[in-house]
Amino acid sequence: MKAVRVCVLRIEGTNCEDEAAQAFASVGASPEKVHLKQLLGQCPSDRRRELDSYDVLMLPGGFSAGDYVRAGAIFAARLKSGLRKELVAFVEAGRPVIGVCNGFQVLVELGLLPAMDGTMAEAPEAALYTNDSGRFECRPTLLRQERRGKGPFTAGIPHGSVVMCPSAHAEGKLMFPRGTRRRTLERLLENDQIVFRYVNPDGEYAGYPWCPNGSIYNIAGICNPAGNVLGMMPHPERVLRRETHPDWTRTPGREEGDGLPLFRSIVESVR
Amino acid sequence: MVVAEIRIELKPGVADPEGRNTRKALELLGFNDIRGVRSIKMFEVELDADPAVARQECEEMCRRLLANPVIQKYRVDLR
Amino acid sequence: MSLEHLFIKRPVPFHLAEIDLAAATDDELKALSGEMGLSLSLEEMRRVRDHFKGLGRRPTDVELESIAQAWSEHCCYKSSKVILREHIFGIDNGRVLSRGDAGVMEFDDEYGYALRIESHNHPSAIEPYGGAATGIGGIVRDVLCMGAQPVALVDPLFFGPLDLKGKVPAGSKAPKYLVSGVVSGIRDYGNRIGVPTVCGGLFFDESYLGNCLVNVGCVGIVRKRDLRRNAVGGVGDRLILCGGRTGRDGIHGVTFASAELSARSEDESRGAVQLGDPITKEPLIHACLEVNSLGLVSGMKDLGGGGLSCVVGEMALAGGCGAEVDLHRVPLKESGLAPWEVWVSESQERMMLAVPEGNVERVLETFAMWDVDATVIGRVVPGNHVTLEWLGVRVLDLDLDFLTKGPEYCRPCKMEVRSRQTEEVTPKLPDLRTVTLGLLADPNIASKEWVFRMYDHEVRGGTVIKPASGRMNRGGPSDATVIRPLPDRERGLALAVGVNPWFCGADAYRGGMASIDEACRNIVAVGGRPDSFTDCLNFGNPERPERLGELRQAVAGMGDLARYLGLPVPSGNVSLYNETASGAVLPTPTVLGVGIVEDVRRCVTTDLKREGNALYLVGETRREFGGSALYRRFGGRGGEVPAVSPERLRRSMDEMLSAMGEGLIASCHDVSDGGLAIAVAEMCLGGDLGAAVEVGAEWEAFSESNTRWVVEVEPSREGKFVSAMTVPITRLGTVGGRSLRLIAGKGRASLSLRDMRKAWSGTLPRLMG
Repeated sequence: MKAVRVCVLRIEGTNCEDEAAQAFASVGASPEKVHLKQLLGQCPSDRRRELDSYDVLMLPGGFSAGDYVRAGAIFAARLKSGLRKELVAFVEAGRPVIGVCNGFQVLVELGLLPAMDGTMAEAPEAALYTNDSGRFECRPTLLRQERRGKGPFTAGIPHGSVVMCPSAHAEGKLMFPRGTRRRTLERLLENDQIVFRYVNPDGEYAGYPWCPNGSIYNIAGICNPAGNVLGMMPHPERVLRRETHPDWTRTPGREEGDGLPLFRSIVESVR
Repeated sequence: MVVAEIRIELKPGVADPEGRNTRKALELLGFNDIRGVRSIKMFEVELDADPAVARQECEEMCRRLLANPVIQKYRVDLR
Repeated sequence: MSLEHLFIKRPVPFHLAEIDLAAATDDELKALSGEMGLSLSLEEMRRVRDHFKGLGRRPTDVELESIAQAWSEHCCYKSSKVILREHIFGIDNGRVLSRGDAGVMEFDDEYGYALRIESHNHPSAIEPYGGAATGIGGIVRDVLCMGAQPVALVDPLFFGPLDLKGKVPAGSKAPKYLVSGVVSGIRDYGNRIGVPTVCGGLFFDESYLGNCLVNVGCVGIVRKRDLRRNAVGGVGDRLILCGGRTGRDGIHGVTFASAELSARSEDESRGAVQLGDPITKEPLIHACLEVNSLGLVSGMKDLGGGGLSCVVGEMALAGGCGAEVDLHRVPLKESGLAPWEVWVSESQERMMLAVPEGNVERVLETFAMWDVDATVIGRVVPGNHVTLEWLGVRVLDLDLDFLTKGPEYCRPCKMEVRSRQTEEVTPKLPDLRTVTLGLLADPNIASKEWVFRMYDHEVRGGTVIKPASGRMNRGGPSDATVIRPLPDRERGLALAVGVNPWFCGADAYRGGMASIDEACRNIVAVGGRPDSFTDCLNFGNPERPERLGELRQAVAGMGDLARYLGLPVPSGNVSLYNETASGAVLPTPTVLGVGIVEDVRRCVTTDLKREGNALYLVGETRREFGGSALYRRFGGRGGEVPAVSPERLRRSMDEMLSAMGEGLIASCHDVSDGGLAIAVAEMCLGGDLGAAVEVGAEWEAFSESNTRWVVEVEPSREGKFVSAMTVPITRLGTVGGRSLRLIAGKGRASLSLRDMRKAWSGTLPRLMG
């Protein structure tokens, strides 16, 4: 079996890299936590790494560079200035890229999502803005898988099924430019780019607290038109086992955590 | 040397939870006659360039990092 | 009084003065201590004077400042050490691995866990956001410098009432403002460094109006071979200062913490509150753990109270050596600092590493990789002196024995038991429904969800029992939180806070015992076996005998129970002078208990599970209402504070844990504030299920007697459960329906889940707006 190499990319302030690496390890991949400086060559030569040598790129959660300026903006700017060519090549080769929470914010700031007119947009086409509550929200959220097409992320999560992934963010409200809001949404739907939407336990697209941020169309996660770049606010890497579900002591049937199938799908897609 | 003041503010119609929360805190400190609080971000950038070039560079900074055009607008003032 | 003549400026190109203590009168010594912000008593000033007389020279300002730091209450526990030594220190069960800046206990064969709790009271009262944030920063460094990865944060907080009717005392701020600032500070710092804030507490009482208490705890996990001492390794080691730069922020933090707050504190003390920078801290954690796990470091210690002056002296002394420091190498935030300022500044996010000379290069390389400053500022030398140079001038030369053997006092104590001095007045109670809903809505009992949803309590992906238990977005409270710190094993850590300031105010000895009892029963309620404690003792001015009496009694109560149970207290913190003109805070000995969960997959939560199950009370309800929520809310006075029988507690814990091990218990909740009625109501809320419950007399529903739990048992397991328990158990009723039907003596009430949720969940959002 082929070893699947996963680059879990971090900079100062990234803080979910341990559980992200653990997620990939627990489905048989070989994750490596890599500092951005290692890809940029700003390090001793024995620590140097090439993006091209990985099968999967993961941008984990946290507060990269303190989320100063805007959540994810500085990480995105550093990636764009030093690694643009490599990133575009990686995405165009069809290799999976996943950004969770702060990683999603980075992908949006980078222009890799929603990226409706090319691999990487010049300027951000969307924003992940302050939650409607104005507060950081750490709570369980239920996500319905909405994507019809195939792709590296959803092979193990049937269309229409609901998974529990906790959210923990202050800026997760997906927004599109004011004048083109409706058109952007329509195109997302046409392109089959909506992967996860927030629902309540009855499966309805409900408001707060089930949608913790006021995101447009209850969107929790989107992919690029090609389907190999996924960004999502909730944290699948925090529910690898049933014991981290919030109600696990009262739901004896579940065998594994709801986050695991996502990572399994990614790894199997490149194997 | 030129000093540029770059002002980043929310576009009209974008809610401002920071302003809202700041207002609440100010009222708790006893300021009771507040009509509104808006949060605005300001960067002061010192440049070794002549004004025309400096302005151009600052606008480029806004486009590439400091502002997200979906929610924010910017203004550059040179001193 | 002019003190000019005592300052003799040295002819050097920077600020350096000698102080002519020998020429000073007693009044001048006192005035000097005040003027320089030393917070030293006359007696202590005389001791310093005599020491330098013996050396035949005058102290420099750097030396005097250094001594003041080392001898502050905050650093040397001069008022409390005698008491702590008698009751708390030295309890051992053979599993204590270290008693350093954080205590370290055995987790399993390969790992240890580190624990510590600390106060950040005075800074938070002045500047709540920064004060609380830096409190988190400090406690995380205490755990980090043992070589441990921080895995959980804990934050018991104490404020004046949110629904305050009268005016806020001069010099202090509205409780609502303080709560909001403190919670935001903890949120922003804890969330940013990626350590989950998993448990805490929010307490409200008038006594905290002018002096809120902000206690912060941290737990870490460390491979035994990576465990470090807070000491230099030996002569030749280099001292590497890493992390943030040094500035004027946080000068005189410890001497400030060792005096009462006054209306003038705000203006005078802003400089004593430091600013935090979690985005320096986060890579600092990575870098320190990395160089440590590579075995490059002989010892680490964080820079907290007293800054460089304390860390260099303590590390050298602990390693049996002296040290030479070139102070001018310390990277600064701003220019123009005098040597003494650099030496005592408490700027945040700094760590000191002692590194063998051959490893220095690799250590510096790793820090550069993380973009964290690291600078060699000195080296370890033979002997027992610390010397400092600044631009080639020796500005300090102190004998470590003199510097670090601070004074110790056996101050007078007055032992009172207030509950015995007042006649008991039973409150006139409204009907059972009103009482129960009123207690559920009491800010001290009501849901703290408003707070913990703002804390990332799930980062690191190991939080097995979270602050809320039960249905999603409709949970009830958890007794303890459980984390699984290592991805490759099922062993977990249960964390719980125990403290009841009202019990302590009425009877400090029993209150002290009750805090240990509460932490134990919370840990047991989730299926953990209590293993150790760390304590944060928040009291008033120890120079007042009745205050010190409270401390002595509370510590005796805690110590007696911990010793009986064989549970060590390998770390802790004392915060005195929590007092304003309007009086002292309630005696508040906060306990963070840590328990070992053998297998997290067997944990039990508080939420009711299934219709038809039976409910039992484990333990004995007595008429003990001193300090109870019922008396506080409905106007009762006096009364016996709940006592603890150590023998009964031990037996109850053993039997509960073995019943849980056999899978006999479906849910479990400890009985604390508000008593049995509240415990059952909270279980109903978590499970979104009703219950029918009956007790013999109305008071039994609200007594806060210790060592009790409510447990849910499936009908098929009742027989086995009943025969397994030898401690008293009482069948209370059954689970079912959409309401809590409560019969208490002659009182009857039916409380719908909706009404109970409204009362319990609505309070904090309403008060915080």
